[in-house]
Amino acid sequence: MSDQTGARAGEESSTYAVEMEGITKRFPGVVANDDVDFAVERETVHALVGENGAGKTTLMNILYGFYEPTEGTVSVDGVPREFDSPRDAMDAGIGMIHQHFMLVKPMTVAENVVLGAEPTRFFGLLTDETAAIRTTRDLAGRYGFDIDPTDRIHETSVGEQQRVEILKALYRGAEILILDEPTAVLTPQEVEALYGMFEELIDEGKTIIFITHKLGEALEAADRISVLRDGRLVETVRAAETTREELASMMVGRDVLFDVTSDPVEYGSTTLAVDDLVVEDDRGIRAVDDVSFSVQAGEVFGVAGVDGNGQSELVEAITGLRPVESGTITFDGEGVTALSRRGRIGAGMAYIAEDRQHRSLVLEYDLLRNGLLGCQTLPRFSNGPFIDWDATGEYVDDVIAEYDVRPPDRDTTARSLSGGNQQKFVVGREFERDPSLVVASQPTRGVDIGSIEFIHNRLLDLRTEGIAVLLVSSKLEEVQRLSDRMAVIYDGQFMDVVDPDDVTEEEVGLLMAGERPAGGGQ
Amino acid sequence: MNRADLERLLDRLVDATVLERVVISFASLLFAIVVGGVIVLLAGIPATCRDPAFVFAGREFCYDPIEMYLTLFEGAGAFGSLTNLGLTLQETSVLLFTGLSVAVAFRAGLFNIGTQGQMVLGALGSALTIVWVAPSLPENVVGTVVIVPLAVVVATVIGGLYGTLPGLMKAYADAHEVITTIMLNFVAMGIAFYLVRNHVGDTTTDSVQTTPIPDFARLPPTIDGTRFSILVLLFGLAAAIALYLLYERTVVGYDLRTSGLAPEAADYGGVNAKRNIVASMTLSGALGGIAGAMYVLMVHYRWETDMPPLGFDGIAVSILAGNNPLGVIPASLLFGALKGGSLQIDFALGVPPELVEVLRGLIILFVAMPEFFRMIGSYAGYGTDGGETDG
Repeated sequence: MSDQTGARAGEESSTYAVEMEGITKRFPGVVANDDVDFAVERETVHALVGENGAGKTTLMNILYGFYEPTEGTVSVDGVPREFDSPRDAMDAGIGMIHQHFMLVKPMTVAENVVLGAEPTRFFGLLTDETAAIRTTRDLAGRYGFDIDPTDRIHETSVGEQQRVEILKALYRGAEILILDEPTAVLTPQEVEALYGMFEELIDEGKTIIFITHKLGEALEAADRISVLRDGRLVETVRAAETTREELASMMVGRDVLFDVTSDPVEYGSTTLAVDDLVVEDDRGIRAVDDVSFSVQAGEVFGVAGVDGNGQSELVEAITGLRPVESGTITFDGEGVTALSRRGRIGAGMAYIAEDRQHRSLVLEYDLLRNGLLGCQTLPRFSNGPFIDWDATGEYVDDVIAEYDVRPPDRDTTARSLSGGNQQKFVVGREFERDPSLVVASQPTRGVDIGSIEFIHNRLLDLRTEGIAVLLVSSKLEEVQRLSDRMAVIYDGQFMDVVDPDDVTEEEVGLLMAGERPAGGGQ
Repeated sequence: MNRADLERLLDRLVDATVLERVVISFASLLFAIVVGGVIVLLAGIPATCRDPAFVFAGREFCYDPIEMYLTLFEGAGAFGSLTNLGLTLQETSVLLFTGLSVAVAFRAGLFNIGTQGQMVLGALGSALTIVWVAPSLPENVVGTVVIVPLAVVVATVIGGLYGTLPGLMKAYADAHEVITTIMLNFVAMGIAFYLVRNHVGDTTTDSVQTTPIPDFARLPPTIDGTRFSILVLLFGLAAAIALYLLYERTVVGYDLRTSGLAPEAADYGGVNAKRNIVASMTLSGALGGIAGAMYVLMVHYRWETDMPPLGFDGIAVSILAGNNPLGVIPASLLFGALKGGSLQIDFALGVPPELVEVLRGLIILFVAMPEFFRMIGSYAGYGTDGGETDG
């Protein structure tokens, strides 16, 4: 891990709008923020970047009074503060605009803006509608927001709704605005308009903090950028003095290096072939855009990239959890594009899911019942409609022993295991079913160092046994070490497929940031 | 007591073994009896009576709590008359089905509060089926053999469909089943009331009810002087055992349970979680419907508005049973016994029925609360250290 250099951006010692010092936030079993020093200069736009789960939102929720930090102090305008609730933060001039808007749809823009702090008439008995509309119009005019206070929310666009949220915060006297992934739901034009609004707000003396995991946005809109990784603040830099590649490598980081020997082996036949695959995400936006590749038996094919570039959708389409818009998936020579998830499990596809706690395990179940997940219709574990608990029990005991799951007790619930032991159990359950393809998505996320090494070695064992492995990870180091070939995904497309032993980190960083190599790829 | 102590207690409670839970239940019962006794004693001071139970320090105490409890448990059937036993078992038999209805939903992580509504509609369906079909059947054993299963099937289908509805809303429209099932209870009662009063009811009376079902459609009483039929009890016991086996031993049960508890994990395991959530609610509703049929066939012999809240009691039965189908058997027996026993107090001691209801309520409250907190605690993630949250 790198040293703390959080205060680097503040050499000129101007007054900070926000200073968070030594912030640590622990949840049971997880350190979400680890000794973070985070400072924001007045009248600047400050971007907070990092991968999903890096602790960005937790840090901002602490600033907004939603969580109390386990350790550390928060100062606003140089005054130390302790917020018990968002209301305290609001009183101190902090406003937060969440990713999911909290507006009352049948009500007008003006009504939403003043909601909870309405101007009143007749000694507080009636809401003064006229005053509400006037105030909203004045406020919107001052910041150059194009919005009609009498429109009803359900008639407005997403971009307008965001402006209403910002007006709401301003109406309550916010001097510091926190925006959580403000561009996630906007069209490119609306994004431009948002950046314009940032400038207006800064001119009016406001301070803006926005959370994003898109590096381009941080570079374009922010004056300063802070990078979080695994709950720690890696560095705060000036946007003008950094590059996408530098940010990408800070975000992804280096893992502890292990000596993993990957002897070249003879590849077998093609196990998985993906052709012209197009997949949409939950919002109906194209997340995987015309991707083709194949994985041979005995090969580890890696997919590297910053989170949220279509990896999840790609993996879910291959494993049968997400419908395909167009293109084909061929597994062991058979077309499986339309085959059910259960059919694909039966055909020998193992899957280590990215979200271990919701996907690959039922936390309420003991290990015995978790051992059955996905295998319940395989003849080895059931006789017709009846589960063979004896066979399941033997299988689970074997997995626990071979994969060193602690505590070694099939009656403990999955919830009570540490992240590393949960993942070792999942890995064991999936690997021991004699698969011909293993899809491993973020297999070592949130896993302790010992377990990481163990899982890496097992993945390479599979390769030696002639099993095809598709490895998807946002840890560049991991993909580079384990893969025989490596694709870099950006915005739903493979930027390039490279030999991991033959590229520099900078070259991969460029690809991950969405820049095709100048000298023509391949 | 501070928050940390409370959390530690909750952890301990969630981790309790089956034996510990049984012991806790009995301790709670004892505690409820003590608290109830004090209330009975105090309630006897302001009351006026001809011969007080005893006089102490110049005050007259009208009710004797010990005598009252003795009557309660005697009335419950263990030492009482056959009639009392019949009353107890009659209540127990119907509660078995409503308890199972709630328990199968809970088992799959779903809260079906709509058993009452499913029971009301199931009861109406079976009553109307009998009223309409019976005239074309011979009034003998042949008629009974045809009409009783038919009525049960109709009630099962209607109750099941009425459970499917909130299941669909849960799976495909993200509408929480607690809200929808509570609202559907009112809808069910409203629909039934409207139909019976305006279209399908007994026109010879002002009450909102159907015409009574003929004798051959009534389940023959096993104990003279009561309406209890051993057939219903056996059917309920068989259902409890079958459901236990379904959830513990079969792939279908595993899939149902997984889908409700962790839909994403179910999908991962090759199960259509949405379809299974609907199936769980349908199964739950079907059991509520059967309870309604049993009520018509064994207890009331017609559908009448203001059915007793057996569906709501089913929630308490299920909680007390730890949502285990086998646990529903002793839990509904306790509830049935309290019902039988409280009728006996009414009858023998002249204690106001409201006070008896208080005693009954206290026992239910005390006995069910530890299990209730255990359930809430387990949903809230207590019970084991080292649980993780999402960063």
